[in-house]
Amino acid sequence: MKYLAEYQDPDLARALIARIRATATRRWVLMEVCGGQTHTIVRQGIDELIGDRVEMIHGPGCPVCVTPLEQIDRALHVATRPEVIFTSFGDMLRVPGSHTDLFHVRAEGGDVRVVYSPLDAVDLARAHPNREVVFFAVGFETTAPANAMAVWRAHQLGLTNFSVLVSHVTVPPAMTAILDSPDNRVQGFLAAGHVCTVMGWEEYEPLAERYRVPIVVTGFEPVDILEGIAMAVAQLEQGRCEVENQYARSVRRDGNRAARELVARVFRIVDRQWRGVGTIPASGLGLRPAFAAFDAEAKFDLAGIRAEEPEACRAGDVLRGRLKPHECPAFGTECAPEHPLGAPMVSSEGACAAYYNYGRTRLPIANPT
Amino acid sequence: MCLGIPGRILDVRDEGGMAMGHVDFGGVRRDVCLAYVADEVQPGDYVVVHVGFAISKVNEEEARRTFELLREMSQLDELEWMKEVAERSLEGSRDREPEGSSPRSLDPSVNRP
Repeated sequence: MKYLAEYQDPDLARALIARIRATATRRWVLMEVCGGQTHTIVRQGIDELIGDRVEMIHGPGCPVCVTPLEQIDRALHVATRPEVIFTSFGDMLRVPGSHTDLFHVRAEGGDVRVVYSPLDAVDLARAHPNREVVFFAVGFETTAPANAMAVWRAHQLGLTNFSVLVSHVTVPPAMTAILDSPDNRVQGFLAAGHVCTVMGWEEYEPLAERYRVPIVVTGFEPVDILEGIAMAVAQLEQGRCEVENQYARSVRRDGNRAARELVARVFRIVDRQWRGVGTIPASGLGLRPAFAAFDAEAKFDLAGIRAEEPEACRAGDVLRGRLKPHECPAFGTECAPEHPLGAPMVSSEGACAAYYNYGRTRLPIANPT
Repeated sequence: MCLGIPGRILDVRDEGGMAMGHVDFGGVRRDVCLAYVADEVQPGDYVVVHVGFAISKVNEEEARRTFELLREMSQLDELEWMKEVAERSLEGSRDREPEGSSPRSLDPSVNRP
């Protein structure tokens, strides 16, 4: 076993597709939460293969996509400062700010560097004591342990030239916001397997109970996703609404305790603004006061930078599953990867990018609206 | 961004109080922080790695159990599937999106229903 190729097996996938088609007796609407799952679904055509009775709508689980415009503008502002080495995951570089993006800042001489791990940014700060190293700490719960460790490490090493621009968000409040919305159509969720690898699934149990929705913790390979769909459909058909774990090879009920502990030590729960959605209470993470010295927002006085999101971008509707990417009037015309209006068109997990890159230019015949 | 890749631990070392190690991803080697799985892993174990951090040890028993369950089901469902394919081909080919339409040839008029 290598724990990868086995879950891409076409025979297994076919069997699961047949099972889903045979189980669904009426139309059900499921949302996959994570953008990585969206990409597998669209690339493999899973939403079309499973038949007319199960509709997949794409969730908000793309951290790059939900990072608000003003946070991007703040990153751009810091990145242009001559003393700063601005570090980020590669995904953020093409995300459009109000006027430019990190790629252009770099092209114009800004020291913008892509890092593989947040610890690489800490290493840069050690190697360049006369520069200010800023790391763009975006992400969901999956990435929080890595970013927490970078801050913890910098604290241990006594670094004074390292800081983080935090835009951390958490999944359950976003799911609650979707379920609370009056036009919600979601009847069941595939929860994000790596978010739950860190956090476990206890916090999803009250959601499943209160809103009477099945929630299946699901992996990312085609066979994982098909099995997750099959499990959710079986629950819906049987009138159950439980939290089940498809991704048992990685996810435990209480997640990764060591990771959760360090995240809780470094971060606290704060209100966060989501792109196109607005502020969701208690939906993100910010640095605890004990680590305020590592807060780039305070260090570079960024709080005053505000931005209005462009009206033509319907990212908020796409992220909440109200609109499929190709239903957006700007899709493929005003908005394309070379000239994006919003982050979902350029992020490797963005739903708009998935539709564009895999040639979904028209509504699938199976899913008329 | 929540991409997590399974890889096999080659070695484990202590770096200033933090567990680090090399992990093999099908031939590609990366230095990975093992701090969050340090209590339960040793060289040879598989871990799921996200942005340079192991976030879980792959539970081999669960992986095997799921896989065998799926295998059994796949054999049972194979007949069902073949029947369905036969029926669908009798229905005639449905009007479908042409394969691999290039993003360059996007026609805005077909973007909406």
